Amino acid sequence: MLSATRSAALTILIAASGLSAVALERFEQGEGGFGRERRRVSPLGYDATTAYDGRFSFVRIRYGAASQLAQGRFFRGEPPWAHDFPRAEFNFLKILNELTFLRTFLDQGNIRTLDDPELSMFPIAYMSEPGFWTMDEAEMEGLRAYLQKGGFVIFDDFREDHMYNLTAQMRRVLPDASWQRLDASHPIFHSFFEINSLDDVEGYYGVVEWHGIFEDNDPGKRLLAVANYNHDLGEMWEFSDTGYVPVDLSNEAYKFGVNYVLYAMTH
Amino acid sequence: MFDAIFRFFFELSPVVFSQGEYRFAPTTGSYVAAALVGAGAALTIYAYRSGRGRTRDRVALAGIRLAILAVILICLFRPLLVVRAASPQQNFIGVLLDDSRSMQIADVDGQPRANYVKSEFGDQTRGILQALSNRFTVRTFRFSNAATRTTQESDLTFAGSQSRLGAALSGVRQELAGLPVAGLVMVSDGADTADTALGEALLALKAETLPVFTIGVGQATLSKDIQVGRVATPKTALKGTTLMVDVVLSQSGFDGQKVTLDVEDEGTLVSTQEVSLPDAGVPASIPVRFTVNEAGPRVLRFRVSPQEGELVAENNAREALIDVRDRKEKILYFEGEPRFEYKFIRRAIPDGDNIIVTSLIRTADNKYLRQGVDGPDELVAGFPKTREELFSYRALIIGSLEAAALTGDQLRMIAEFVDKRGGGLLMLGGPRALAEGGYAGTPVADVLPVLLDRGNVQAKGVVSRLNVKPTRAGMATAVTQLAATEAASMEKWNSLPVITTVNRISGVKPGATVLLTGTDENRAEQPMLVHQRYGRGKTFAFLPQDSWMWQMHHSIAVDDLTHENFWRQMLRWLVDGVPDQVEPTFATERVEPGEAAQLVANVVDPSFVELNDASVLVTVTGPDGTVIDVPMSWDGENPGEYAAAIPTKAPGWYEARLDATRGGKVVGSAVTHFRAAPGDAEYFDATMHAGTLRRIADETGGRFYEAGDTNSLAEDLRYTGRGVTTVEEHDLWHMPIVLMLLVGLLCAEWGYRRAVGYA
Repeated sequence: MLSATRSAALTILIAASGLSAVALERFEQGEGGFGRERRRVSPLGYDATTAYDGRFSFVRIRYGAASQLAQGRFFRGEPPWAHDFPRAEFNFLKILNELTFLRTFLDQGNIRTLDDPELSMFPIAYMSEPGFWTMDEAEMEGLRAYLQKGGFVIFDDFREDHMYNLTAQMRRVLPDASWQRLDASHPIFHSFFEINSLDDVEGYYGVVEWHGIFEDNDPGKRLLAVANYNHDLGEMWEFSDTGYVPVDLSNEAYKFGVNYVLYAMTH
Repeated sequence: MFDAIFRFFFELSPVVFSQGEYRFAPTTGSYVAAALVGAGAALTIYAYRSGRGRTRDRVALAGIRLAILAVILICLFRPLLVVRAASPQQNFIGVLLDDSRSMQIADVDGQPRANYVKSEFGDQTRGILQALSNRFTVRTFRFSNAATRTTQESDLTFAGSQSRLGAALSGVRQELAGLPVAGLVMVSDGADTADTALGEALLALKAETLPVFTIGVGQATLSKDIQVGRVATPKTALKGTTLMVDVVLSQSGFDGQKVTLDVEDEGTLVSTQEVSLPDAGVPASIPVRFTVNEAGPRVLRFRVSPQEGELVAENNAREALIDVRDRKEKILYFEGEPRFEYKFIRRAIPDGDNIIVTSLIRTADNKYLRQGVDGPDELVAGFPKTREELFSYRALIIGSLEAAALTGDQLRMIAEFVDKRGGGLLMLGGPRALAEGGYAGTPVADVLPVLLDRGNVQAKGVVSRLNVKPTRAGMATAVTQLAATEAASMEKWNSLPVITTVNRISGVKPGATVLLTGTDENRAEQPMLVHQRYGRGKTFAFLPQDSWMWQMHHSIAVDDLTHENFWRQMLRWLVDGVPDQVEPTFATERVEPGEAAQLVANVVDPSFVELNDASVLVTVTGPDGTVIDVPMSWDGENPGEYAAAIPTKAPGWYEARLDATRGGKVVGSAVTHFRAAPGDAEYFDATMHAGTLRRIADETGGRFYEAGDTNSLAEDLRYTGRGVTTVEEHDLWHMPIVLMLLVGLLCAEWGYRRAVGYA
């Protein structure tokens, strides 16, 4: 079992290195640049969806009014939910496909709002920058049903007082739920890779904290959501093939991502 | 009526004719008369040989004349019926009176059957018994379980809980052995409740040429009655299991009426439904659903409230014993890839449930995640490699896992798991399952209920989207019941979202049952859930890859339990009836108090190989707390089968604990229950069974009578030919039928002549 984990970790390194090599080549050809990669995303790409066919698809939650998107009132013209899209998920899906027996879509974005009926066909979802998260009643109802029926949400890429917004929004969704801090003994850190310590993990924004919401607030029960406070796994995934982020950091980020997905697939 | 008519024409009873011998007793005058008749015949032929008229008429008239002469000639030769008749008061008659509860049914002119028995056989100063006593020495017996001598009317209580006709006949036959017995008279409704066949008792009576004259008391059809007939329930069930049970209802006199069918679990109502009664005399099977939530031996009562005017209210309820087990039953689920189907099936079984899903999921090459294991060692080496390890589970689920992931021996073990161990196997659909997973031609394919062909597989990436619905056979199972009633359940199935499959099967095996079927976009149907029994166990193939849609889909409400209920019932069915290493079975769930319960136990080792050299001890705790030990012994014929008779005394529940050891080591143990209680079989099919009584009479040389048509009984008994007899000769020439025949022939001749103008 342990040797299998090591070999998987090695595969991450190799796969991430491979992605880096391709990206470096593209960067050297003048395509790259921190930020320019993001800007190349067409606003049309924000409507990317994937039709369910039994395979795993990485769902990115879109939030905020459509008018905000049209007005382009965002940093670099990019809405916060779309940070790291699509390269983060494309790279992550390649890693998942490579390392595990999970059958995934590749190079295919899947952006859904919380009130999208099709969201229910993909029981694992990812939200970026929940510090900016707003939702209407329909979205609130949609997320509540999604979580109660068995869905799982990963909140990523937030820091400082963003936690207040995440807490406030989740209180609207599940009034009785509370965020609880996770330690390394939780099964989510052992569902594929054995992550035995969280102390050495270098956060993107500072000291990382892992928080979770449990079914019935009972730590012995299923996790409904996990939040990486002060961290940005998506960023690590996005730039794992560019050389901007140390391979070790990307490597760690992939481990967490793979574990989250495997946990949600088995619990 | 028939008897009276027969006697009018022939002067004697039919029995006398059947028992007697025929002969002639001519005198010298008979021969002289014969010569004269011969001359008359010759003269007749001569006279009609020619003359006027048509030949046809002359032949007819000659024939009639010759017939008249023939009758006269026969009479002149004095035909006799010689019969051996019982000598008065020198022979015995055994009278068997049915003393069971069914004789209390009031269908003899509105009076209980018992009244007829009392009035006709209660005292030697009246009724049929008087007529018999005038000719014979009568020995009266009453019977229910067995026959016992009775001397006075008050001995008859009509409270017996059984009618064992064969045992009663054998008992009386032995009781009267050595006496000159002319015959036996059995007065009964003919409802035999014995487990053993009647034939053996009849064979002994035939061998002794002892005739039985039977009198049927009661109506062949009850005018107004509702009966809860057969109820087929499992003997054991896991606590929390929802059962679908077929209750057979029949009725007479209540056509088209609606009644309420209730199910009570030890007095607690667990199911109620309104049903329309079937046509009179046509039994109908009504599916009833209920959940057993209380552990222990439970008596389930299936009841229709008595209706106004019903003759028998006692047959409106039927009881069944179910041993509800409150124990953990482990299912091994081996999944070959991370997928949501795995998560949601596991999630459908809540913590604390009696079902434990121990799972092994392959997340990557040679990398597994274990869940629901008992300890750090369980499944640590992956899928079991020995029979002992695999057979410790009661059921096995194989997910999207290719056959190549298992060794040849493991594939054989899985087949043996079903065939020999008697476990349940469920193969789920998925890209690595069934034919797509390379199972065609493997031992596992042999036990599956679907046909797999390695040349007929679904192309990679092709997904069929289907609406799934239960078949007619599926609707009769608990697993498809998604709502309280069949109609509501069907409506629920119709509202479920589309799910997908990536597997193709080449057909369903003979003997397998399709429980769910799917209809795709092209309206083509294919089986989705197929079941069959194989060897000692059972197998299922469930083709969809995402039944979790029944949980997650946006059209499904948060509090909707469709997915949970389906899988809970599915997994309960999978472990239902799976045998233990020590598996006890009682021949019947109930015995009469005082009778012994016949217990049989199958004993096997951890590999489920039968053991013939085990020591098996039954510790029986009676209803009064008394404990006795009864050793069981191998029956010497069937491998691993041990038998014992458990004695009973007081009525009530008995607990039997079986402990099997071998060489000082424990093989296994089991606990089962039975009860000693009076049966209620008397009230079921409580009509008068003329067929049974007629068969007893016919096979023994006696005669069947209906109550009220027994005038000739005493006389008929005289001519059985048994006991102390005298020879009686009955002249037949002066029977009224002879005179009528002669007069008739003469009239025919005269009438014919008139018709053709000869007269």
